[in-house]
Amino acid sequence: MRAIAFTSRNIKELLRDPISYVFCLGLPIVMLIVMSMVNDSIPAAPGTPKIFNIEKLTPAMSVFALTFIMLFACIRVSGDKSSAFLTRLYASPMKSRDYIIGYTLPFGIIALFQIVITYASGEIIALINGESFNIINALLSVPLLIPSVILFIGIGIIFGTILNANAAPGVCSAVITATAILGGIWMDIDAMGGAWKTVCGCLPFYHNVKYARYALEGNFTDMLTPFLICLVFAVLFFVIAVFVFSMKMKSDKK
Amino acid sequence: MKTAIKINDLTKKFGDKTAVDKINLEIYEGELFGLLGINGAGKTTTIRMLTGLSAVTDGEAEILGHSIKTDLQEIKPLINISTQETAVAGNLTVKENLELTANIYGMDKSNIKESMEKIISSLELDEVINQKAKTLSGGWQRRLSIAMALITDPRIVFLDEPTLGLDVIARRELWKVVENLKGKVTIILTTHYLEEAEALCDRIAVMAKGKIKALGTSEELKKSVGKDNIEDAFVEIVGGEQ
Repeated sequence: MRAIAFTSRNIKELLRDPISYVFCLGLPIVMLIVMSMVNDSIPAAPGTPKIFNIEKLTPAMSVFALTFIMLFACIRVSGDKSSAFLTRLYASPMKSRDYIIGYTLPFGIIALFQIVITYASGEIIALINGESFNIINALLSVPLLIPSVILFIGIGIIFGTILNANAAPGVCSAVITATAILGGIWMDIDAMGGAWKTVCGCLPFYHNVKYARYALEGNFTDMLTPFLICLVFAVLFFVIAVFVFSMKMKSDKK
Repeated sequence: MKTAIKINDLTKKFGDKTAVDKINLEIYEGELFGLLGINGAGKTTTIRMLTGLSAVTDGEAEILGHSIKTDLQEIKPLINISTQETAVAGNLTVKENLELTANIYGMDKSNIKESMEKIISSLELDEVINQKAKTLSGGWQRRLSIAMALITDPRIVFLDEPTLGLDVIARRELWKVVENLKGKVTIILTTHYLEEAEALCDRIAVMAKGKIKALGTSEELKKSVGKDNIEDAFVEIVGGEQ
């Protein structure tokens, strides 16, 4: 009940902030449209797929958009932490699990909604451009992206807990950039290979994008390995988030 | 009179600095008890310990018979706090803030409805009930913060500097609110406004440098140092200690 009440508050706070619509829902759609226009403008060699093919771009954009969910989770946690509102809650019967559920559920719901919107936009763009886009695989991709959702919310809670309200957005921006570069959103990391691919392989972002793309292709066999890697990262980061938040609660009482 | 809070040698240290130094107090049910002192006297730290927001370094305190060291989860549903800074959810309306607090304290729907009506009426929140908290003036936000502390029907409510930073009109209006609560709930009020403590409190503990320097009604405090007004009495009590 306490967790649900806190979840409800966080959903309301998020939905009443117009900036969250721009970044969480508007930006992925705009980026899809812009990159599709770029794709149309770049001539591809005969027989080779275009760089920003909508089937490659949509899942990557879904993962990239989750970084903004991370940003908003981080801002919410760090903002609450710096306000007296959290002090009031600390004095209430709420337990650390209520806070974690209350911060995770709202952003999880918004993230899933964001993924649906992004895939729906991808489908519409594919229809307009006459490109292929498998709607069944797109529907299957939504639940399959849950580990990515948990991963980014976990990262948001970690940064929101350890950073103050001024530092949190800056650090999150670095993670957003890292996701774009190291996740292979705009480039084919497998084609680049070498040390760069090794670095990308050590971080979760590349695996997120990779399995999201395989899922939309319907290549569930090749999807399994990056999916499992991402699942491990998601569990790891979420456990760290719970630990860090619980430690913060304890240290605040000193 | 039944004891609401019993404090024995309660101590709080931050490194080498002693913020609260072996204080002893007994506060009774239904009493409006004032902790009076200048900034840094240890008032807020005392309240933070009693509400579980800060760990106790040494000593003990019992709230309604429960130890703050071992029974905090039993104590929390019985108390509530309005912190020094206004603690409201800015994007939620006044009504939603009250409902949120009631739900967090596990109240059932019928109790929430009843308690809401009572609080809205007694704190005259009708005119702002559907207004977002962040759009309220400082005085109204403070009033909402107190309403959030009362909505859960606590047996003890801690009001930490409830009128800090408010203009004289808003302060007097809040005084009325607090006066109306007298006898209905045990109130621990911290303030550094002398006239506020004198006007509202049944008994006052004067704190300085983490210690309780004097305890009694405002009349008793004045009499103890042979002064006619509370300001002179306060200066006399803590003057040499600052």
